[in-house]
Amino acid sequence: MMSKIISVGGGDVATVNIGGAGPLVFLGGPCAIESRDHALEMAGRIGAICKALDIPWIYKSCYDKDCRSSIGSFHGIGIDDGLEILAEVRVTQGVPVVCDFSDAEWAAQTASVVDFIQIPAYLCRQTHVLLAAGETGKPVHLKKGQFMSPWNMKNSVRKIESTGNQQILLTDRGTFFGYNMLVNDYRNFPIMAETGYPVCFDATHSVQLPTSMGNISGGQREFIPALVRAAAGCGINALFMEVHDNPDEALSDANTQLDIRYLENILAQAKATHEVRLSLLSQWGEDNVHVEC
Amino acid sequence: MSTSSANRTIEDILLKPDAIPAMPPKTMVKEALEMMTAGRLGLACVVDRKGCLVGLFTDGDLRRLLLRSQKPLSALFADDIIDHARTEFMSVDRHTSISEALSLLQQREIFDLPVLDSAGKLEGVIHLHPALRALLESDGA
Repeated sequence: MMSKIISVGGGDVATVNIGGAGPLVFLGGPCAIESRDHALEMAGRIGAICKALDIPWIYKSCYDKDCRSSIGSFHGIGIDDGLEILAEVRVTQGVPVVCDFSDAEWAAQTASVVDFIQIPAYLCRQTHVLLAAGETGKPVHLKKGQFMSPWNMKNSVRKIESTGNQQILLTDRGTFFGYNMLVNDYRNFPIMAETGYPVCFDATHSVQLPTSMGNISGGQREFIPALVRAAAGCGINALFMEVHDNPDEALSDANTQLDIRYLENILAQAKATHEVRLSLLSQWGEDNVHVEC
Repeated sequence: MSTSSANRTIEDILLKPDAIPAMPPKTMVKEALEMMTAGRLGLACVVDRKGCLVGLFTDGDLRRLLLRSQKPLSALFADDIIDHARTEFMSVDRHTSISEALSLLQQREIFDLPVLDSAGKLEGVIHLHPALRALLESDGA
């Protein structure tokens, strides 16, 4: 079953369609907005790679990191300064931007700048947050909580739909496997796709080891390429990765962000895998192993 | 004075829509089961926005589903009821006699028959027990 297509951006930035039998879309950028210059530089460099590979993309970076492990962790640049930087990224790069928010009262202000509004995974069942996102009228990027089953995401989807908003992207970012460990269950993609909405794989958060290092999260970046190929082969409409020019010195998620020097390699393989899958579906038809009940 | 059951129509014993568990197709299985339990009827009537019957799901369907499904129960509960409802079903119209309806229930060994108008809109359900009661009363038993 092909998903519906959601449309992000348009107007003074590129229109990026996600879903159906369309191209794989990339959502990427630094985890946190660190500074204006850094954001603009990263947007320029990522944009150049996506342009060379002919991959539609959306810039991602956040102004507030409310789910950090420690009270001493970098919390973000703040909503006013952060949105000003994202607005400049949009104008200078012509690229749509996505950013999360963790307080329902921030939804409207965030949506006044961003093209795509994101729900953090830990908040994926918070009714006030979901309704606030839906009511902005912007497409909603909804991440599946690490604690949530894929079929229970239907409740969160319906909360957003209750606002009249039917532009939703569902993302898997790993599932808790005991404490401080995530695993990827690739059944999550076809199960979440049963909602009819496009699905996305968040590769960099999937390799996270949540708060495994006492007051920060660890991560195993070496698994990103293999997990990306597997997800693209399974069937996704978009790929999400946090990208940094110096991950070890990043202000947040230093152990999971992808070094930009690897980005072209991984995106090229993801795109190729996606196109092979679409070609196979075209040749052999949709998956047709059905359960008779 | 009793009236012969042959002269009475099912309109006299119809369970009206507000007395039966009727629900939209995207109702979760868990919610459907709760509505069936609250309605004290082993039948869920799945209706579209116009009120037309598009599916039926019975206690028997639930038994068969539980025996066949390999999904975790939490996943099954979250499914849409229409995914498991039967979309081909027998129905009657309001002019059917009680004895005809009872014959159908008996022949098919079922407990319920939906009653539809000419457009397929759900007008009610014939349930075995009220039908039997009416038959017994009308024949002066």
